[in-house]
Amino acid sequence: MNVPLAPVLLAGAAVTGLVVVLLCAVATAHLLRGRRRARDVQRKRELTPLVHALLDDDPADGAPRADVVGAHADLDAIVLELLPQLRGTDRQVLRQVLAERGVVPRAVADLSARKSWRRGRAVTLLGSAAGTDHLAAMAALLDDRSPEVRCAAARALGKAGDPAAVAPLLRATRGGTGLPHGVVGMALLDLGAAALPALRDALTASRGNARELVAELLGVHGDASATAALEGLLRDAAEDLPVRRAAATALGRIGSPTSTEPLVAALTNSPDHRLQRAAAEALGRVGDPVATVPLLAGLAAPDVAVRSVCADALARLGGEGRTALQEVAGGTGAAAPVARAALDELLAGPRRPEPAGAR
Amino acid sequence: MTHVLVVDDDPVIADLVAFRLGRMGLEVSVERDGEAGLAAARQLRPDLVVLDWMMPRMNGLEVCRALREDDDAGLARTPVLLLTAKAQEPDLERGFAAGATDFVAKPFSTRELVSRVTAALPPGSVVA
Repeated sequence: MNVPLAPVLLAGAAVTGLVVVLLCAVATAHLLRGRRRARDVQRKRELTPLVHALLDDDPADGAPRADVVGAHADLDAIVLELLPQLRGTDRQVLRQVLAERGVVPRAVADLSARKSWRRGRAVTLLGSAAGTDHLAAMAALLDDRSPEVRCAAARALGKAGDPAAVAPLLRATRGGTGLPHGVVGMALLDLGAAALPALRDALTASRGNARELVAELLGVHGDASATAALEGLLRDAAEDLPVRRAAATALGRIGSPTSTEPLVAALTNSPDHRLQRAAAEALGRVGDPVATVPLLAGLAAPDVAVRSVCADALARLGGEGRTALQEVAGGTGAAAPVARAALDELLAGPRRPEPAGAR
Repeated sequence: MTHVLVVDDDPVIADLVAFRLGRMGLEVSVERDGEAGLAAARQLRPDLVVLDWMMPRMNGLEVCRALREDDDAGLARTPVLLLTAKAQEPDLERGFAAGATDFVAKPFSTRELVSRVTAALPPGSVVA
């Protein structure tokens, strides 16, 4: 069959032409992107020393500040990148720069933007840039209709560093739309030691989930001033079990010998295995040899996990606990395997630090 | 000229520290990971090493230990300033046990950094 040559050639030429045009377009786009990136890198290289020099300025020496207001918008990105790495005067200087450039007022306006990503971006920026200003406006977003914005608001409040954020953050853990504990806990930890007085108050003022979280955080901080209140929670049989467990764990982290008595009581008297485990582990951390006898009794607990934690705790008590553990390990009772396992781990595993009370 | 080696995988921090120490009249070299930092220390024999803890390839503690165990007695005595987010009590113990001279906790203050660098160097090293 004869096919006319001219249309075939024309079609071929057209396809080739299209391919060439496409290739040229791709190459041009690639080139332009590369140039833009190079320009961005160059601009960043020029602006970064300007920001560094601002940090180097001694505010007392009266020297003129570099012109930050008129600098390219990329300067904001450099400042925002540096802010979380710095503290003290450096952080104040950078926050001042953002305020002077109008970044903060723009973000405040965006807190009520219709699009959720703009609200989230605004509150994140304010958390880094605005310090303790605009706390109420940021806290209001803890009730935002978007869960992402609510989480962003919690993180931003933590970064902002104002202990006044403790109460709204804890309120945000309540209800069906409450924020995850992890998010609120990290935000509260970000507030640092300055939040401790407010957390101590919240230990009695809060309820349920929030109280459990507060007990946990006071333990993470190792806050010795909270010892008595935490011991009270642990002793209170009417208190929620998760709160009592969190109190027991926190007391272990704080490590005061005064906690031995309520921890022993929890281990001995509580019908809840998880509370018994928390108490036994805490006794190991506190390291008071007075706990040797009740921990030995715990080796006969019906729950194998309780027996195991008691054996680990004995191993941490120092010489007296280990001697008792060796005696049990040499026997044939139900506790012998967990005792042997604890001793084996002690010998083979990484060295555990001696608890403060071990003698 | 007093020479400081800065080892940090975060360019934002490394550049700021280099700039700030440069303004103190110090000669500054920068490396981005522990292995390169150790090699640079052996080659350049700096008067002070400012070292991040958490870095790829070799972490700051490993670099610190390697420096302290170096055959070159001069290098083994080089002051090491750990610039790190790991600055809780157990971290400090581990850092000092590895041979660190001092710590600067991240987030950090450039003014504090300058003071600690000045204190870690022999008197008269800082001219500006």
